[in-house]
Amino acid sequence: MRDLKHLLYFENLLQTSNNELIRQAQSEGKICVAYVCENTPEPLMDIGNAFAIRLSAPNTGSMDIATYYMTNLLCETSRALLERAIEGGFNFADCIVAPDGCTMINRCVENMELLKTMGAGKEQYFTQFMEIPLKDDDNGVELLKLQCKNHILDPLKERYGIDTSDAAIRKAVEEHNRVCRVIRAIGDFRREERPRITGYEFHVLTLATYLCPKYLIIDKLEETLEELKTREPDDKDYRARLMIVGSEIDDSGLIKLVEESGAYVCCDRFCFGSLPGRNPIELNDVEDALTQVCRHYVRSCQCPRMMNMEKVYGRKKYVSDLAKEYRADGIIYEQVKFCDPWAYERFSGSVMLRDDYGFPVLSVDRPYNISSSVGQMRTRVQAFVESIEIKKIQGGTK
Amino acid sequence: MATVFNPKERKGDKELGALYSDKLRVRKRREWRGIKDTAYDYSRWLYLWSIMVRVSMSKGFVKGLFRYRWMSNYLFVPHMLDKFTIGLRDEPLRITHTAMDFVVYDVAESIKNCMRGDRRIGNDVKFSENCVLCDENAMTAFMMGFPTVKATLREVPTMFSANLLNQYSTTHYLDVAQQFGLPGDVCPMPEAEVGISIDDDFPVLGKCAVQVNTTCDGSLLGNGVIAKRLEREYGIPTFQLVAPMRHKEEDVQKYAAEDIKSAIAFIEKQMGVKWDWDAYFECAKRVNQTTRDRLQWLEINSTNYPQFVGAVFSLYNDTNYMGNCGRSADFPPINEKLNKLIMRGYEKKTMMAKEYRHRCIVWGVQPQYCIDMLYWMIQCWGVVPLTDMLSMVIDREIAETDTPENREQAYYDMAWLNENMIMRNRTHGGYKVLVDELWEFCEKMNADMVMMWEHMSCKALCGMHGQFEEQARERGIKLVWVSHDLCDPRVYTRNAIRGQFSAFMRTVMREEPLDPSIEVLPDDDNAL
Amino acid sequence: MKILLKVLKYILGAALAFFAVTFTVYFFNLDMKATALIEPLLQKHYDAIPRKQSL
Repeated sequence: MRDLKHLLYFENLLQTSNNELIRQAQSEGKICVAYVCENTPEPLMDIGNAFAIRLSAPNTGSMDIATYYMTNLLCETSRALLERAIEGGFNFADCIVAPDGCTMINRCVENMELLKTMGAGKEQYFTQFMEIPLKDDDNGVELLKLQCKNHILDPLKERYGIDTSDAAIRKAVEEHNRVCRVIRAIGDFRREERPRITGYEFHVLTLATYLCPKYLIIDKLEETLEELKTREPDDKDYRARLMIVGSEIDDSGLIKLVEESGAYVCCDRFCFGSLPGRNPIELNDVEDALTQVCRHYVRSCQCPRMMNMEKVYGRKKYVSDLAKEYRADGIIYEQVKFCDPWAYERFSGSVMLRDDYGFPVLSVDRPYNISSSVGQMRTRVQAFVESIEIKKIQGGTK
Repeated sequence: MATVFNPKERKGDKELGALYSDKLRVRKRREWRGIKDTAYDYSRWLYLWSIMVRVSMSKGFVKGLFRYRWMSNYLFVPHMLDKFTIGLRDEPLRITHTAMDFVVYDVAESIKNCMRGDRRIGNDVKFSENCVLCDENAMTAFMMGFPTVKATLREVPTMFSANLLNQYSTTHYLDVAQQFGLPGDVCPMPEAEVGISIDDDFPVLGKCAVQVNTTCDGSLLGNGVIAKRLEREYGIPTFQLVAPMRHKEEDVQKYAAEDIKSAIAFIEKQMGVKWDWDAYFECAKRVNQTTRDRLQWLEINSTNYPQFVGAVFSLYNDTNYMGNCGRSADFPPINEKLNKLIMRGYEKKTMMAKEYRHRCIVWGVQPQYCIDMLYWMIQCWGVVPLTDMLSMVIDREIAETDTPENREQAYYDMAWLNENMIMRNRTHGGYKVLVDELWEFCEKMNADMVMMWEHMSCKALCGMHGQFEEQARERGIKLVWVSHDLCDPRVYTRNAIRGQFSAFMRTVMREEPLDPSIEVLPDDDNAL
Repeated sequence: MKILLKVLKYILGAALAFFAVTFTVYFFNLDMKATALIEPLLQKHYDAIPRKQSL
């Protein structure tokens, strides 16, 4: 296929935490709200004069200092983020909002706060920790509303004078949805028999929507969507269509590695992915916008920490439904090493998706930065792809 | 701190190393404590066996012993008491036995009930239908108003207390869970529970179940796996009760209280019973009494003559708050007895070793129930464990009189108890409760040393490792890290655990042991 | 009176015998030594039981 016109541009944006678009937005007087968990309602941070940036630590190498503070038993994502913060890589943030989602990411941000890694020279800088619901029910929606008000909207208004009115939330949702619709439309091409976009390309585009100010990339995303409409797919068959489920993938190299094994990553269901992360938020005019945004996040949340049994069963069914919809031949359940929530979800999900739903499943843990374990991962993916191929050849009889 | 010397010479065995042998999994003989204390210890040993014989004659026990792997560990109950009474004489010996007698009785009752209601063993359907399976990590506050319903904590006999008796009791289940694909780096406690569920080694009883998210991400996630089998295979509906993570914050309390209401409504619906406010407030009074007593014991431990310390202090608090939570009328008389013994010991200035060199707060997620570490620290190094993280739990009283306002407050109180479940009240809720308050306790209790249990897989604790180090250094507090793996002695053996402490005492503190005969003990292979 | 004394003697004798046996078991830790021998046999038994392992 011909290279996407803006792919290199997006790839470059993902190479540093403080990319050029963040700098540009701040130079335009905008306020950068850093966050670390997918369960934080994004439009409430992309509101008024503020823009949301999810913290990531691309090209992470050594994590020695963070390992001293948090030991080598905490997940690499939390250590990579703390290391980057200690290095001064997140100094651009004007505030940080951290839900007490998983324990490790919470400890990571607590260390950032205690070590005063961010906010130097920013008088209005603040760190907010918030509670997020653990069950999908009305009580959870009420909690999230209160938490968003107390820990996102009010501090933004008080410290930075951001307009957090209902009208402002609605406008933010509209802009958020514009990005979501483009990403979902691009992602839909992955269902095709001969897809016109690779899984790697799609991941780069999706990741950019979390790591860059949305208003600065929307035009290029829309242009890419137009470009894709007429893009000629490669005349080749993939050895297997795979869905990837699990912890956040901040390193598109992992998707590339899977695709280099001859597979096609047709669907994503990981933290900060497109499903359900880039589903638009539908608002009505009857109810206040904050309630509706919070309800959307509670209802659509696929985080393993959602503990009511409807969610526990529902997560596996959701994966199965997506796998069918995107015609996946197999599923890769992955987790960042030492991630407790995804350790359990990977284990139960891989057993249930195989035994109850009949999908071939590869269950793997991985480092935050895949380049430190390319060989091992490639071998496992190749073996998985081969096993699917053999099954296909044998007509699924063995 | 200035060393406190014991003017009284210890009767009986002086060098405790004489009790151990390389060739035996258990001790060569029991400790000679002088005629009076040996006679007392012997009487408690007889009492323990009387409990064990009584339980073994209950319906289904023998069948259960041959069905459930975890059952065999209970044969080692007397050995556990030997671990917890090493070197003790006078009041501390009596305090330990008084508390442990009741803990043993409580667990024995729990085993009896599990066997009675278990579909495979006793199959007493009527009894089983009157049981609510409660998560062992729950403060069972939501059961305080259901006096006629049996709260059954099946993980306690199956996993938790079995592990106190034999640390190898869980390794089989860990292996099973890992064979199914669960990584070995998660906390082994919920992992073992998942392994028991997969291995079908839980007793199956109860009309419904309530699980909580209290301890950690691992526990929360493990519950889902266990509930799946409960619901789908055994038809036992399960309710997931939420305890917010940031439990110190005002803006999460309504959320927690509302979920308590939902849990109560669930139990009422499933069990066909109504919430009883009289029973609730009766229990609330007992919870408050427990709190007052415990705070008084901590006051005594702040003096030069601590009396109720070690694993048993923690274990008794654990049983009293968590499993009991004011529901049993049997606890207050035990507390009364303990109060008397503690006061008497304090007035007599009774000491547990010939000198106290350091006053230590034990912090972190502890394996001290499983091994004799805290008593060993006293006897071997003269380091007194004044209290531990799990015992620094409830510090305020709840509403205990029945008024319309208090009925609403009660939901908040139950939620507060649940949020402040032992251990998680420190491991969750932000670093202040874990790190900052530790230093406050050090000051209040005149501690000059902190022993930090570093549980290999406890992310909440490990995540603050550097902060503990730096802040202890700033405050001039001696901090010794002791790594362990709660349920897996294959990762850290007993001597590897003790060795870390001894190395610190020799190299950093430059001290020699009080009793060198027990510095290294031959219990690496058996973990009993 | 004689019978009473005899009964008392028997009770005392039985109590003494009970004490002698149980105290010997207690002091020499014979109960735990026996348990330490039995427990591995039970483990073998548990290993032999077929289990319905499932999630």
